[in-house]
Amino acid sequence: MPKRLLALLLVLPALAMILLFFIVPLAASIIGAFEVGDRFGLDNFAKSFDLYSSDMIFTLVIVAISTALIGIIAIAIGGYLTLGENPRAVAVLRWLYRWPMFIPFIVVGQVMRTFLAKNGLMNNVLISLGILTPLQTTGFLDWRGIVIAFVWKQTPFVTLLLAGAMASLDRSTIEAARNLGASRMRILIEIVLPQVAGTLLVGLILSFVTMMSVLSVPLMINAQSPTMLTADIAFRINAHGDYGVANALGMISLLLTAGVALIYLRHSVKERS
Amino acid sequence: MKHLLQASIILGLATTPAAAADLTVVTAGDQNMVDYVNDYLAPLFEKENPGAKVRVVGTGPGDAGSQKIVERFDAQAKANADKWDVDVAVVHEKFAGPLVADGYLEAYKSKIPSGEMVTSEKAKLALGANVDGYVMPMFSSQTAIAYNPATVPNPPKSYQELVSWAKENPKQFGYNGIKGGASGVSFVMGWIYAFGDGDATKLMNGPFEEAETKKWDKAFASLKDFTTNATLTPGNAGTLDMLSRGEIAMGPVWVDMFYSWKADGKLPPEMKLILPAPGMPGQPMHYVIPAKSPNTELAEKFVALATSPKVQADGIVKRFNWYPGIDAKFVQPELDKASWDKLFVDITPDDLASKGKPFPIAPYNKAILEAYEKNVAN
Repeated sequence: MPKRLLALLLVLPALAMILLFFIVPLAASIIGAFEVGDRFGLDNFAKSFDLYSSDMIFTLVIVAISTALIGIIAIAIGGYLTLGENPRAVAVLRWLYRWPMFIPFIVVGQVMRTFLAKNGLMNNVLISLGILTPLQTTGFLDWRGIVIAFVWKQTPFVTLLLAGAMASLDRSTIEAARNLGASRMRILIEIVLPQVAGTLLVGLILSFVTMMSVLSVPLMINAQSPTMLTADIAFRINAHGDYGVANALGMISLLLTAGVALIYLRHSVKERS
Repeated sequence: MKHLLQASIILGLATTPAAAADLTVVTAGDQNMVDYVNDYLAPLFEKENPGAKVRVVGTGPGDAGSQKIVERFDAQAKANADKWDVDVAVVHEKFAGPLVADGYLEAYKSKIPSGEMVTSEKAKLALGANVDGYVMPMFSSQTAIAYNPATVPNPPKSYQELVSWAKENPKQFGYNGIKGGASGVSFVMGWIYAFGDGDATKLMNGPFEEAETKKWDKAFASLKDFTTNATLTPGNAGTLDMLSRGEIAMGPVWVDMFYSWKADGKLPPEMKLILPAPGMPGQPMHYVIPAKSPNTELAEKFVALATSPKVQADGIVKRFNWYPGIDAKFVQPELDKASWDKLFVDITPDDLASKGKPFPIAPYNKAILEAYEKNVAN
């Protein structure tokens, strides 16, 4: 019995931390979402859908597109790092690809804002190269800007996980395929990818959840309509002091991410059994 | 949570030492408000009143800053403190009404000489609440449409003309919606004043009637149409940014920000302002003195100095490009011609008097913002 007590005591600090700083605020936020004046109801949710239904779809579409692009680019980079034949190119790529990972989202937003603007750096370069005329330029400071910022920032993270998994693969399977004359593309898709699919999925899900919660990028690139739910939540609190609808919106984005988390859980359960 | 907050505030108060001649000034707003008092007003005041020492505390930008001041007053009122720890506070227009209604403030306007120089309606009614006598406007801020005369030789003089201009020049008008700062909010409020089927003066002066909020459907439908033809910018500064890069030709801005950017060389010097009919909203910030201020007399002296024509000319107009809180005609003799011209050439005092509107009273304000999100943004 004292041993069990000791064990409990040892767990207690961690448990208290989780309770105090995670469970309690989360519960308060969920309860707050249903609070209307001094009774409970769904009014906050009705208002959320009334005002922000297009933003919900926008958020989901933006994050889904970003996740897909991140996946494709991460596979391409990871694949080249594993199967590339030019050692110098591989070394350069290995050195370069991680950089964006160490840049905070807010800085990414700020960089992209000046880079992607209508008369920003990107278009100026294209104009001076003679590819575009000043009249043909368009700014990318809308949903495209958000997608570009997300992909740029999150790809290295997924690639890091993916390249690690690919590097620890048993090389003999790759060598065998090579000996039988398979192209590198085919090796990547048919031999390497299936073996690292689990890692890829984990990386993409973590990215998805991270992107759902980013406020700075949509705020800096496209805080207008439609925008992402995070910007709406901030607006509800800052402009209206309306925590009810903010909580409801928070719960809605929680449900959106929960859908993804479910896929992840299913996958890991399947893997274990 | 609120009790905890109040408790900690009270605890904080109990431990703050207060010397007799310390004048505590609490101000909402950006860092420039704190700098204004620290670098300019406080030294001036201390020179005129030997022995006095001004301490200034900033509570942060936007409504949240004023909200903190209100909460501080609330806490001290609930604690039944004999003397509060604030002598002078600077609050946004929206909060002056509730402070007066709660009986927290001293009616001091008639006791100081500059009180008679305040002619603006905004010093009597703050978003529909009667605050006459309790507040002295520190400055007045105004929104207007900025444009580049090189690309827009004949700027639209009214919202009506603006609509047709925007149709002919798609994506050349930019504003920051309602989530990116008050210049966009102000543009939307002006739109409702111009095109709403209801009575605009009722929106500005009250009373609030639910039926009035149903009269904006047509205005919002046309605003949605207008917005698809416009560019949405990322904020107050975002609009100025895009103007400076020539990405848009026209957009609503805060007048003081516009002039500050111009002075810093961040905007082309030829940029101009116009206040379209029937007008756009602006708002003052007010000096208030708590009824239980520990140094009432000194506080009155401080506000008297801060609203004197000389300080209004030097500090408010010249340094910060704000419009004076007191009547501009008292300020003009104190100003050199260049400074006067800078502030009043594009928008004349007459324009300001006829087209510088107040924001709608609080409940309409909220209803318009929500209707915008529902009808235009979603």
